[in-house]
Amino acid sequence: MPHGARRIKNMRSRPTNVTREPAIASGNFEELMARAPVAEKTLNPGEKRQVSFAQVLVFELRVRNAMTSPPITAKPTDTLRSIQNLMKAHRISGVPILANDVLVGIVSIEDIITALDGGYINEPVEKWMSRKIVTLRDHFSLVRAVAEFDRHGYGRFPVLDANNRLVGIITRGDVTTCLMHHLERRAEEAIAKEAALAAARAADEKAPRIVINADVKSGDFESAGKISQRMREVLRARGVVPDVRRRAAIIAYEAETNIIIHSLGGRITATIDSKKVRIKVVDSGPGIENIELAMQEGWSTAGPLARELGFGAGMGLPNIKRCADKFSIHSELGIGTQLQATVFLQKAGATL
Amino acid sequence: MKLKSANKLPPALAAVEATPLTELTGIELTGCYISDLLSDVLANAQPGVLWVTIHTHRNILSVASMKDIAAILFTCGRKPEAAIIAEAVEKGILLLSTPLSTYETAGKLWKAGLR
Repeated sequence: MPHGARRIKNMRSRPTNVTREPAIASGNFEELMARAPVAEKTLNPGEKRQVSFAQVLVFELRVRNAMTSPPITAKPTDTLRSIQNLMKAHRISGVPILANDVLVGIVSIEDIITALDGGYINEPVEKWMSRKIVTLRDHFSLVRAVAEFDRHGYGRFPVLDANNRLVGIITRGDVTTCLMHHLERRAEEAIAKEAALAAARAADEKAPRIVINADVKSGDFESAGKISQRMREVLRARGVVPDVRRRAAIIAYEAETNIIIHSLGGRITATIDSKKVRIKVVDSGPGIENIELAMQEGWSTAGPLARELGFGAGMGLPNIKRCADKFSIHSELGIGTQLQATVFLQKAGATL
Repeated sequence: MKLKSANKLPPALAAVEATPLTELTGIELTGCYISDLLSDVLANAQPGVLWVTIHTHRNILSVASMKDIAAILFTCGRKPEAAIIAEAVEKGILLLSTPLSTYETAGKLWKAGLR
């Protein structure tokens, strides 16, 4: 049994062909797994997750990814002695025999030992080679290759391409090496991905805090909305969802117009970090006489000009409160009003 | 309701004899909101609506862009000044004007199916 001979050493060292095949459709995968849990036989069945991942690979990878190519070959007229020397030189255990580029036989290390025993080591190969050859195709999946190894008990298979040309030779060891190589590569990829993710997360945590602040002048209706707009642009650039952007913008806008309409002037500061927008509004008076009343919808002390422009609905403060996740207001007559509103960026906000 | 064609007014806006003040673009109206109080619009208008108002002050653009309002229709023949129209173009907000009163406008828009 020429194919049955065990290999003496690993194949000569070479870079494993790691061409990536397209992943199989996930729909078929469960079915395939159920039918052929072959990989568990060839791989260490230690960790369940690894084994199932190796199973994925044996379906993904092809014989051409694992085979040794090009193979070391000999001619039918070569002596068995020359084959023995070839095996020694290349540390291989099987040599396909080609006649005019056509595969006609195979000689294994066992054939050589038998020849040495029988004293015909100097005779030509064609007299003693095995002519009944089982071959694999280069496009076969590794799972099929493993199944063929199990079925025939051979140590190696010559590999043919679609044109019946000998393109390589594959052993069980090649399958294992190829799988290990891919597992390692995928593991490295996974680690790199995880590291990149962690780095991105860390960068996000440290996303530069942006502070937008501006003085707002009393009666400056023309400028209303400028701070709000700038804040909105920053939030959009940071990928904050529209609803949250809108709520933050409404808070800033209502606060701006409040300063314009009611105060002697003030300042708005919007601080944006990765988690929240904090809008702080401070004016320099005159202060709200009755905050409870001011928080009531419809109550307004706006003058005729403001009302002419569509303000003074008595909805500003209630609007701010409704849009904010956190809200506080303090006011002192003759000193001024301080308002602070926070909108959390991650939170899915209420619809407005 | 879609405003697809570059020159043709959709039926609801044609029904109120609206004149576009900015170029018609392929926007989609999801409904209508009528109010002259900015805070009320900020609190209650939905994104994508046609906003009907008598206000022509530039504050309306701030409010509209904040609420993602698609178009503003001025009633009683009002028209904002050129600078505001230019700003609307920049912000991508369609401006229109109708000679009808707000009440008539509301009735006709409703009847034409903008709901």
